[in-house]
Amino acid sequence: MPRLPLIVTTPALPTVVHLDADAFFVSCELSMNPQLRGTKCAVGGRERGIISSASYEARACGVYTPMATKHALKVCPDLILLPHTSGIYSKKSREMFELCETITPIVQRNSIDEGYLDLGPCGFRSTAEIEHRIRALQQRIWDDLQIPTSFGIAANKLVSAIASKARKPRGFTVVPPGEEAAFLAPLKISVIPGVGLKSEERLAAQGIRLVSDLFTRTESELKALFGSGWQEMLAMARGEDDRPVHTDHEDAKSYSVQETFGEDIRDFAEIERIAKGMIDELMPAIRADGKRVKTMTVKVRYPGMENSTAGRSLAEATDLEAPFYPLVQPLLKAAWTQRRPLRLVSVRFSGVETQGAQLEMFGQTDEKKRRLAAVLDKLNGKGKKGAVRHGHQLGK
Amino acid sequence: MKFKINRDHFSNGLAQVLNVVGSKAAMPILSNVLIEAEKDHISLTTTNLDLGIRCKIKAEVKEGGTVTLPVKRLATIVRELPNVDVSFDANASHQVKIASGGSNFRIMGIGAEEFPKLPTSGDDKAYTLEQGELATMLSNVSYAQSTDETRYILNGVYFNFKDGKLALVATDGRRLAMVSKEMTVPAASAGAIILPAKTVAELLRLLGKGEKLKIAFNERHAAFQIDTGKDAGGLTDNIYLFSKVVEGNYPNYQQVIPKETHQRIKLERELFLECVHRAALVTSEKSNSVKVKVTANLLEITASSPDFGEAHESMAISYSGPDLQVAFNPQFVMDPLRALTKDEVFFELKDEVSPGVFKTLESFVCVIMPVRLS
Repeated sequence: MPRLPLIVTTPALPTVVHLDADAFFVSCELSMNPQLRGTKCAVGGRERGIISSASYEARACGVYTPMATKHALKVCPDLILLPHTSGIYSKKSREMFELCETITPIVQRNSIDEGYLDLGPCGFRSTAEIEHRIRALQQRIWDDLQIPTSFGIAANKLVSAIASKARKPRGFTVVPPGEEAAFLAPLKISVIPGVGLKSEERLAAQGIRLVSDLFTRTESELKALFGSGWQEMLAMARGEDDRPVHTDHEDAKSYSVQETFGEDIRDFAEIERIAKGMIDELMPAIRADGKRVKTMTVKVRYPGMENSTAGRSLAEATDLEAPFYPLVQPLLKAAWTQRRPLRLVSVRFSGVETQGAQLEMFGQTDEKKRRLAAVLDKLNGKGKKGAVRHGHQLGK
Repeated sequence: MKFKINRDHFSNGLAQVLNVVGSKAAMPILSNVLIEAEKDHISLTTTNLDLGIRCKIKAEVKEGGTVTLPVKRLATIVRELPNVDVSFDANASHQVKIASGGSNFRIMGIGAEEFPKLPTSGDDKAYTLEQGELATMLSNVSYAQSTDETRYILNGVYFNFKDGKLALVATDGRRLAMVSKEMTVPAASAGAIILPAKTVAELLRLLGKGEKLKIAFNERHAAFQIDTGKDAGGLTDNIYLFSKVVEGNYPNYQQVIPKETHQRIKLERELFLECVHRAALVTSEKSNSVKVKVTANLLEITASSPDFGEAHESMAISYSGPDLQVAFNPQFVMDPLRALTKDEVFFELKDEVSPGVFKTLESFVCVIMPVRLS
């Protein structure tokens, strides 16, 4: 009797790698100020902003992200606050992923500090070989960029992402194919994507604290707990996932920047100056991406954390600052309706267009402005931010 | 008021004036057609206050008079009447009886005194033109008018009587078409108007029924008297079209027409049109451009959209200049090619950020701005 061919459902090697930089923003800052290593420090807005990244020493004191800076200083009075250094994070991120691309072309950048590598097509013959290569990568990222990273290596994205977070910082966890379920079983149920704080509490109340607890329940109990998604939940708990690592870089859908002020501001002219400065900050990035934007939205926040927004679109998308300047005043007036000072203002550009720009006949000056902008971008690039500024940024 | 009229003539007359009436007239009377019976004809007039039109139809008038009726409904009824002979009878309270064969209608009208008067041209500047020639000139440029209401100055065709010629110009700020003809322009009659797009469309529809038309204008209005010819479906005398003009200064179009010729390519119009049309089939709203590449004796057109695919077309040309590549909105390339009738056109290019220029030997120019590829 002929035998059926053996169907191999799991790859023989763990070829999916998840890279997660440790306390990325802080690490970037520490790479420039190594004397602060080992201190309780955090990157975040001034006194009234929020913490966007905290060192592991600060985390040990109870500082987490996102946490109001004020609160962070309470739980950790000797916290050293580092301001955001514009430009460095994306630069370090790009360099970090470029190092990853020296191993495999299939690199998925999930966010600025985290992504997947697919080693499938690299021809590795053993798990040991993969482990050796990735350890070398981890070391190289540290040597070249002084960014500590954690890696998870597994047969799929789900398990590799959980593995990279299993031991942080500088973690390195390999889950051999076939051992996914065993790896996940003793972990907290919150490692499963989609199980947040609230779900975790709800499940704990039902006696489900660990991933393995799921397997003690009957089908009808699981249905009651997770609804129609119970089978997916069970598959994840077994470590099953067939999503491919995809390299297409998702284009930005919007560009935005915001600033929380040290002290509430009630001066309209000052807010207007700040908002125009934000246009000047965002537009070079839009030009660098070869994009144009059509819509500008201004958001203001009052001391009581209430937000108000106003937006308007141009007739044509542009990559120049000037067409948006005249919108700043009316949008601010439309958004800032209460007679109260503001604690935050943000500017967001959306309606991003990529296609070539249709040139205008009676707007030849636009081309001149574009050439001027290109020169300014060049002068202000390479870490010389603010070398040439618009007059309205000079302040009062 | 009482008259007898041929159904098809009546229907044809109503069709001439029907378009002017919008679906949402500001005043009820503006949905109506003014019918005036006198001597051997009836006059049909409609207006939307910006634009008015009047034509005359042969009729056997037994009793003169005036009345207004909802034009759309009336046109539908007349078209459907069973017999070619139609009798029309309006009483003093504006009730109209229409009878044809075994079919009788009674329709409620409104008194003619409420109908806005169509102004007549007075001491305006006036010219007489050939209908066929003006129709061709208008078709050569009208596609380039802007439809963007925020650029209302460009929502029309510019008529410029100056320096011994009439130039018609239309532009939407991205392309500009101009055609001119030589004619006698007395210094005292020199002048220019911007004729609104809606009037241009009406004019294009009405031209060609007879030989001549007379245009009279001042800085606020323009009026056209369009001859209707001998056998014109009951139309008699002329059709009178009255229009407000777009008030404002037309942009200085001369400055955007390149003075120098750089690389000139002679093209078979239809072949080029077909190639661009095919290449444009793969374009999308997001990537709406075709690349025109010229190398020694070869013109290539390529287009692509990331989510669909690509197209490549090529045609032999006589060319020995430098290699060039410019991208254009395909519509901007096809519109002038469709509007022209000559077998050959000249296409002039300079570089990827300079306009492309179509020309013919008959003083036609169409300037199209390229798409800058990032």
